[in-house]
Amino acid sequence: METRSFADYMRGLSDESLAALFANRPDLISPVPSDLSSLSVRANSAPSLARAVDGLNEWQFQVLEACVAINEPMTEKEIISVTDPSAKFVIPHLISLALLYTSRDGIRIPHTLRDVLGNEPAGLGPASMAKLSMKKLEEAPAGSKKILEQLTWGPPRGSVGDIRNPGPGIAWLLKENFLVPLDQRTVVLPRNVAIHLRGGKVHRNPQPNPPVIEGKSVKQSVIDRAAIANIATILRWCEEILNFWSEEPPSALRAGGLGVRDLKSAAEHLGVDENCAAFVSELVYLSGLVVIDADDRVLPTHAFDLWLTQRAEERWRGLSSLWLMTSRVSGLVGRAESKHISALGPELDRVNAASTRKLTLDLLLNSQELCPEINSFLALTKWRAPSRRSPGLQPDLVKWTLREAEWIGITGQGAISKYGAAFIQGEEEIGINIDLPKPVNHILIQSDNTAIAPGRLEIDIARTLDSIADIESRGGATVYRFSETSLRRGLDHGKTGEEIREFLRKTSKTPIPQPLDYLISDVSKRHGRLRVGNTSAYIRCEDPTLISQILSDKRMEILPMRRIAPEVLVCDMDAKEIIVTLRTAGYLPAAESNSGVLLLGPRLNRAKSKPRPPRIIGELETPSEETLAAALRAIRVGEKSSNKQNALREIAANALGALPRTTANETLDLLNKFIAQACTLSIGYADNNGSATHRIVDPLSISAGSLIARDHATGEVQSFRIPRITGVAPL
Amino acid sequence: MTDGPLIVQSDKTLLLDIDHPLSTECRRAIAPFAELERSPEHIHTYRLTSLGLWNARAAGHDAEQVIDTLLKYSRYAVPHSILVDIAETMSRYGRLRLEADPVHGLILITTDTAVLEEVIRAKKIAPLLGLRLDAETIVVHPSQRGAIKQALLRLGWPAEDFAGYVDGQHHEIELVQNGWNIRPYQTLAAEGFWHGGSGVVVLPCGAGKTIVGAAAMAHAKATTLILVTNTIAARQWREELLLRTTLHEDEIGEYSGSKKEIRAVTIATYQVMTKKKNGVYSHLDLFDTHDWGLIIYDEVHLLPAPIFRFTADIQSRRRLGLTATLVREDGLEGEVFSLIGPKRYDVPWKEIEAQGYIAPAECIEVRVTLTEAERMTYATAEPENRYRLCATTATKRKVVETLTKIHSQDQVLVIGQYIDQLDELAEVLGVPLIKGDTPIKERERLFKLFRSGEVKCLVVSKVANFSIDLPEATIAIQVSGAFGSRQEEAQRLGRILRPKSDGRTARFYSVVSRDTIDQDFAQNRQRFLAEQGYSYRIIDADDVSQGKL
Repeated sequence: METRSFADYMRGLSDESLAALFANRPDLISPVPSDLSSLSVRANSAPSLARAVDGLNEWQFQVLEACVAINEPMTEKEIISVTDPSAKFVIPHLISLALLYTSRDGIRIPHTLRDVLGNEPAGLGPASMAKLSMKKLEEAPAGSKKILEQLTWGPPRGSVGDIRNPGPGIAWLLKENFLVPLDQRTVVLPRNVAIHLRGGKVHRNPQPNPPVIEGKSVKQSVIDRAAIANIATILRWCEEILNFWSEEPPSALRAGGLGVRDLKSAAEHLGVDENCAAFVSELVYLSGLVVIDADDRVLPTHAFDLWLTQRAEERWRGLSSLWLMTSRVSGLVGRAESKHISALGPELDRVNAASTRKLTLDLLLNSQELCPEINSFLALTKWRAPSRRSPGLQPDLVKWTLREAEWIGITGQGAISKYGAAFIQGEEEIGINIDLPKPVNHILIQSDNTAIAPGRLEIDIARTLDSIADIESRGGATVYRFSETSLRRGLDHGKTGEEIREFLRKTSKTPIPQPLDYLISDVSKRHGRLRVGNTSAYIRCEDPTLISQILSDKRMEILPMRRIAPEVLVCDMDAKEIIVTLRTAGYLPAAESNSGVLLLGPRLNRAKSKPRPPRIIGELETPSEETLAAALRAIRVGEKSSNKQNALREIAANALGALPRTTANETLDLLNKFIAQACTLSIGYADNNGSATHRIVDPLSISAGSLIARDHATGEVQSFRIPRITGVAPL
Repeated sequence: MTDGPLIVQSDKTLLLDIDHPLSTECRRAIAPFAELERSPEHIHTYRLTSLGLWNARAAGHDAEQVIDTLLKYSRYAVPHSILVDIAETMSRYGRLRLEADPVHGLILITTDTAVLEEVIRAKKIAPLLGLRLDAETIVVHPSQRGAIKQALLRLGWPAEDFAGYVDGQHHEIELVQNGWNIRPYQTLAAEGFWHGGSGVVVLPCGAGKTIVGAAAMAHAKATTLILVTNTIAARQWREELLLRTTLHEDEIGEYSGSKKEIRAVTIATYQVMTKKKNGVYSHLDLFDTHDWGLIIYDEVHLLPAPIFRFTADIQSRRRLGLTATLVREDGLEGEVFSLIGPKRYDVPWKEIEAQGYIAPAECIEVRVTLTEAERMTYATAEPENRYRLCATTATKRKVVETLTKIHSQDQVLVIGQYIDQLDELAEVLGVPLIKGDTPIKERERLFKLFRSGEVKCLVVSKVANFSIDLPEATIAIQVSGAFGSRQEEAQRLGRILRPKSDGRTARFYSVVSRDTIDQDFAQNRQRFLAEQGYSYRIIDADDVSQGKL
């Protein structure tokens, strides 16, 4: 009946009201319901209502609770009387959310809402059916009053020793119907009594007004300065962590995600704590700049290379919007109570993460030039989103959001920055590109072999410099140090000493100090003096002219030869073939072993692998008498045994349902015991594929981790590896 | 975004662009809390350390001032984490105080009982403490004043020391400025030390550290113990004090291997202090036998370990450390700071050079090439002999000969590590040699001849690394050294840094064998000086012989 009236109400709604409803409860139109009655069914369903209730603030929730507590249909006046006059402003909102609806006789509640809010909204018990005279309460004996006091503010239930034999206080209350027995041991305070005792109100502390955020006021210019530093830093961190991983890719854990040690080393590399490192890793992971590759290595993707070419604002906007939307919570990483949760891992999603983040940023946006004090901020978030479903996490989520907002630069010194505000409000231009310090295109080289880039370097210069110098200090500027190793790295990357010098001459504002110049020459002079390569054979001769002759011999052109010294040729072919070719051409080569010993003597080719003769399947010879007798005997025994085998298989099959199971220790104990008693055993034995089979055996002995036993099925003595025995039982 | 001279890095280093118009102002502003790490030609590197920040707190600067300074001069926005860290570090200072109590002696008092509870549970600290007087106060064994300060520092809860210093026995000492004037930086250094109570003054070689010592003594006006590296240095101190102060000959005693005088001002050598007799350091009593009002450690970077231990026990006496190069290859710089005291004054070498108080110097690395035969010997030598082989190559001798010929008009020092090499050089060059076994008398005679100009060239071993005052030496030729020791190189350069009467540039030649381990060591040795802004020029030995310098 109620449902119908709710449906009727929905049918009566104007298009505008419906549009407003959908805007507030978008789940009602995804997917779009077929008609209004299915819409009203959905709007009255528990999940949808719960979602709508989650969106209420503390005061709206209190009013709704109050509505549930009083009898339907109700009037606005009734609601106000049990709450606060300002409820008047809340009721229309609740109606627009279809959490209340109006019918001909007054305001009503969608009936499923009662289930959603629980049996005891605001700690109130069920309404009493009996006629009650509240005046009598004042005459209640002292004992009864005490009990009433305890139950007034909920929970409304109290337990008694035995309902048939209550104490005098309870007895009076029961008699007067001020308490109602629920079962043998429980009594409950009826709702109307409780409301009366609560002075006609439902809540002890109605909270019509949001708590005020306290905090330190900060000047906007200071905030923005700090924020732009944060923005520059987060972009640098992302770049650095990815460069770090491309050099030394960590391996992902088997359960997915980044190991504690890898996170720690990333944190050390960035010079931040592990929380921050987890945040940065998650950020680049979200942006698709890093991926866990098929071989479980964590590696930057091609998107990273593209990303590097983007302008700062674009990069930052990408990171920030993904952070705002994601349900992944990097703050969960590395907490003492959940050690197994790892960055880039599978267990970071939390339902209300994104909404909490949005709420937090909204609140920050509403308190400009203020670095909020955390407790007052938490009180306000709690008022705005009481979050009844996972109350434990919300304060943490808010704290993490504040922390992360600072790292990412939406806030500066704890207060919302102009960049953050512009970003949240979805403006086209955030202004980061203008405010970020311009990249510099020069370095200063000093005589202690350091080079200083007095600002963020242009990407090409930074990359080249990275390959020839080690970074010593990072931040607004970068300090590089040249050393033999770093220069060698540059040479290994294919630069020549002259190129390095040219690059430094071009990039440095100061002349290259002579010691560095010499260092470059020294290293490049020594670099590559030793050459290493692979080859399969060499031709050497103490007479260089003979080598030259071979090299210019037309018949030898089929050999891919290279002269690496006047007396040595190398050739990527098998030595034997070379010898054959040389001999054919009339030369007289001798083979040499790799220790330089001449391999002379007749040419006896021998295989390198072990002998592996094929099985012999020859004509059958006439068997001897003994053989025949033995064969016969064997067949007879075999026959007997296969009968027995069948029987045993049956037993085994019957017993299969109850394959014995014992623990490893028990197994060993039992085996020892039964070997002593020499009795037949039924064992479960796992084969190579891991599936257990049932065997009936006579145990003989245990040796080297195996049970030696006669298997009844084959009649042979076999060894069973003890770790594979799944269980033992006497037959 | 201001365009300041300072860049604050996320690893807590500060880069100061010295070509910036505000750089001098900025340097002065950050000097109280940041430690100068390197000062090459364009960008100086300072570092924010806990110790530096605590010293700043002790000197009356608060976190807000420090942060304001950074924000004011910073070119880019300062990372928030650093600001937070500064505030946090500085707030740790002063929660614990050491005070002298009339009844209980030395006591540790806290304003934050949680901190006290934390520290008294620390394993290293518990044995140093006595009776707990109340929730906020605990007795400290008086002899453990140094040890507890060190231990607390390591725990990150530095104690502010209000226990004061003993005045020591009064002794009138004044500076006598007739014909000379104390330089501004010397005054600043002495005052910096005096206001700080105890500490280390770092000044370049030849910048007149003795005067700083004398000025400190004039502040203290008390009996003073001066610890120096060797007897020659002791005598130089004595002469300098006689010249610069009101002290008379009979007020200054020498406590060395040859003499054991204890006077109002006593100059003792490290060697005699650390001499063991029947397994005990019998001379360490010197610290206690007299009521010293001031103890001066000359060349504090050489302080031997036993003196470290003893210094921990005399925390109630004022201590002044003097050095040019506070780099110890053994990494004990931290010990020096916690036992003698923090760095009270420090100034880049090049700045003093610019003021004309030390001679400008040119550093030249002369590269010689080993002969084929030498290269072969070198290539196959055992690793432990390699340095000696390439450092003492015969080719070096020729270069030294040429160099001394070129500088025949100058006062030249040839410095080396290996005695046989030096013997040979002295013979070839026909000049006197001073080494470890040269008697003190003979050394003094030779130094005197050198000072007066009668001897133009001296070959010296490492005995002349420190504290030898040879004002007119303009050229030093280093042929070998103690492997990669950075401070040795700096000290050797220091021998020629006394300002010359005609303002000449001093020259420091370091002769190095090309493509050998000698060259690698040379690079490490040069690092300290390079960081001080001395830029090495590399030339080839052949250029020297052709007179191209």
